[in-house]
Amino acid sequence: MTSSSQKTKASVGRRNFLKTAVVAGASTALPTDSEAATGKKAASDSSSSQGLAAPSAEQMNMEASTPEQLAEAQPDQLAANTESGAAKSFGSDFMIDVMKSLDLDYVFSNPGSSFLGLHESITVYGGNSKPEFITCMHEESAAAMANGYYKAALKPAAIMCHGTVGLQHASMNLYNAWCDRVPLIAILGNTVDAADRMGATTWRHSAQDPVAMVRDFTKWDDQPASLQAFAESMVRGWKIATTPPMEPIALAVDSTLQEMEIGDGERPKIPRYTPSEPPQGARGAVRETAKLLVEAETPVIIVDRLARTPEGMRLLVELAELLNVPVIDIASRQNMPTNHYLNQTRQSGRLIPSADLILGLEVTDFWGQVNSVNRAEMTSEPRVKDGVKLITISVNDLYMKSNYQDFQRYAPVDISVSGDAEATLPALIEEVKEAMSRSRRRTLAEKEKIFRKMHADSFEESRQLAARGWDSSPVSTARMSMEIYEQIKDEDWALVSVGASERFISSWPHRLWNFDEHYRYLGIGAGGGVGYGLPAAVGAALANKKLGRFSVNIQCDGDFMYANGALWTAAHHRIPLLTVMHNNRAYAQESMLVQGTANRRKRGVERASIGTLIQDPNIDYAKLAEGMGVWSAGPIENPDDLRPALIEAVKVVKSGYPALVDVVTQMR
Amino acid sequence: MKLKLFHSTVLLFSLFSAAASAQDDAVAVDRGQKTFMRVGCYECHGTDGKGNEAGTALTPDTLPPEAIANFIRFSPGRMPVYPEEVLSDAEIEDIVAFLESVPPSPDADDIDILKGLTPEGE
Ligand code: HEC
Repeated sequence: MTSSSQKTKASVGRRNFLKTAVVAGASTALPTDSEAATGKKAASDSSSSQGLAAPSAEQMNMEASTPEQLAEAQPDQLAANTESGAAKSFGSDFMIDVMKSLDLDYVFSNPGSSFLGLHESITVYGGNSKPEFITCMHEESAAAMANGYYKAALKPAAIMCHGTVGLQHASMNLYNAWCDRVPLIAILGNTVDAADRMGATTWRHSAQDPVAMVRDFTKWDDQPASLQAFAESMVRGWKIATTPPMEPIALAVDSTLQEMEIGDGERPKIPRYTPSEPPQGARGAVRETAKLLVEAETPVIIVDRLARTPEGMRLLVELAELLNVPVIDIASRQNMPTNHYLNQTRQSGRLIPSADLILGLEVTDFWGQVNSVNRAEMTSEPRVKDGVKLITISVNDLYMKSNYQDFQRYAPVDISVSGDAEATLPALIEEVKEAMSRSRRRTLAEKEKIFRKMHADSFEESRQLAARGWDSSPVSTARMSMEIYEQIKDEDWALVSVGASERFISSWPHRLWNFDEHYRYLGIGAGGGVGYGLPAAVGAALANKKLGRFSVNIQCDGDFMYANGALWTAAHHRIPLLTVMHNNRAYAQESMLVQGTANRRKRGVERASIGTLIQDPNIDYAKLAEGMGVWSAGPIENPDDLRPALIEAVKVVKSGYPALVDVVTQMR
Repeated sequence: MKLKLFHSTVLLFSLFSAAASAQDDAVAVDRGQKTFMRVGCYECHGTDGKGNEAGTALTPDTLPPEAIANFIRFSPGRMPVYPEEVLSDAEIEDIVAFLESVPPSPDADDIDILKGLTPEGE
């Protein structure tokens, strides 16, 4: 730091800093740089003034053991520093003020030298509150936590990492967030000015254009060159991220800018943040959609990411009831309550082929809903009848990146409404009411009986099927799911993660649990990137802790092994979360696919499980959890042992801590 | 091992043949279970063939061996094809013996936590 006097931009700040240090040193006897580095002064001071040795690490832990205590301790300390004049304002302090102006709750991060200034400003200057620093074990976990946090809190969080190695780690879960339309703010440390890069590591941790690596799956980015530009870009980025289609944004933050001292009267302005109103579908197209819906005899609504908020669920129910139209919920968000008679998700195989109109609301893969594919034969065919009217309302066409192909196959439709579906529903509902005669209303009302019966029959079928293999060992996924539900159903519960697909547990929760609120389910790792489940659950559970909800995570073993350090984060930050391992000791999905391939090629399946089984040795997840300070039980092979373990685990979670129950399960 | 088998076989034959066929059945069941695991049927149908979303239930009401052979050699749907080179007719017969030996599951109404469940979520 002290050697690059040839720089003008930051050298004023540095000179000022040195001056301040001298003054402060005279009045408060701050340690010199080398003393601070070695900790010598602190140790000798405490021993001379109090006759005590420096506290051991253990003692320090005891004095400020929990993150909450630390957060509480900081503001006093901060005030003291300010009074003594020791703490001047730095660029990174101002950056924290900008974050505070946006009411940012959390920064998910692990420490790195390219954002030291910000790290210190969060914890010391900002009092480690708004934002609070959540210690992660991996940048990929940090990104998944911010994803889960958003979906539970409906509020963006930030991640903070090196713009180089840290971002390389974080990128997969940024992609999951991108595919999931989740806004999050990625703050990337970088040292832009080569003359400021002190040492080989800083060079390695610097990039000309750090965001290049993730630009294909972030909505917007910037590398601001001044504090004023930072303020504007942070507020602009927040606004862009939270305007549908919501997506992650990235800001590369120069380390020199973080260190820049702010002189009196030099404080840049924080611009006012006004959220953008989400785009609504054009009135004419909405009216035409309403007219066709009212006229249709066998319409179906398909929803995926419609309900951005609880209001989305309420509006969908209103629309569906108005027309008695069945809803198929792909459930990347919980759009339709599962106990509603018009939730006919499990009847999609019957309803879609007989529909005369299909309305897709925020469905990314609409083509995939109206066509069926045969993977092995590499063929596809329509699963809808000729003449069906296809209508979509979504922000898909406002979702503009070319490289990664998550926009899915092009779907020809009759009416394509570009607009946020939740924001468009009030107008659509109004138009439907307008278009519906009283006699039509009466006719449509008669469908209620039929759909109530279909809903009840489908539920009953699932209930009967759940009994199959009830006493099997390994434990059936139905037994596991229903034993969990039995213990949580009287709580204000939320199933915060099931990993990459609920099908991995044969969709039992959505078949038999009552998902009657928007927050009861948060969807999956949308990009299919493994290493999402546990950290996303931890992030969501952090949000739910404040909201008083009981968080449960059904955790696939393969996914767990990518990012199990997230358990430590849950233990460290006292995040109540029940994790139940779906431990089928395999990458089961791939195991099935490799087998299918081997059979098709007539080469036998004996070797098809190489590379897909997680056995020999079996992994002891309970021990892993215990090693990270998390209460745990298992491995449970006898299904009768499950209930007592879950009862204990729920107690632990209700007392404010994470718990893990390892269940050895059937493959699916 | 061989001696033991020989021994018991002689003994059984000399006593009564019904027991011998029970023993044969048990051997077939055991072989069938091993095959069911080895060729990966269990991955989609569950270790005891009770089924789930990845594969239909194969028990109770197990299809006869010919029907199963017919299905799995030409499976038109989501299930992978098992040609004869991969799974012989004799092995399918063993699998059927295994599936027929699996005890039935309890009824949903006899399971405390499934009993009271209703579609309205009460
Ligand atoms: C990759 C998953 C998978 C594997 C492995 C698999 N199956 Fe299947 N099986 C299925 C699916 C899915 C179905 C339903 C097929 C359909 O609906 O087209 C099925 C259906 C069947 C049926 C027809 C059931 C009925 O009553 O209609 C039989 C019999 C069967 N499987 C036997 C087997 C046997 C025996 C094996 C092992 C040799 C096996 N399966 C391996 C997935 C699998």
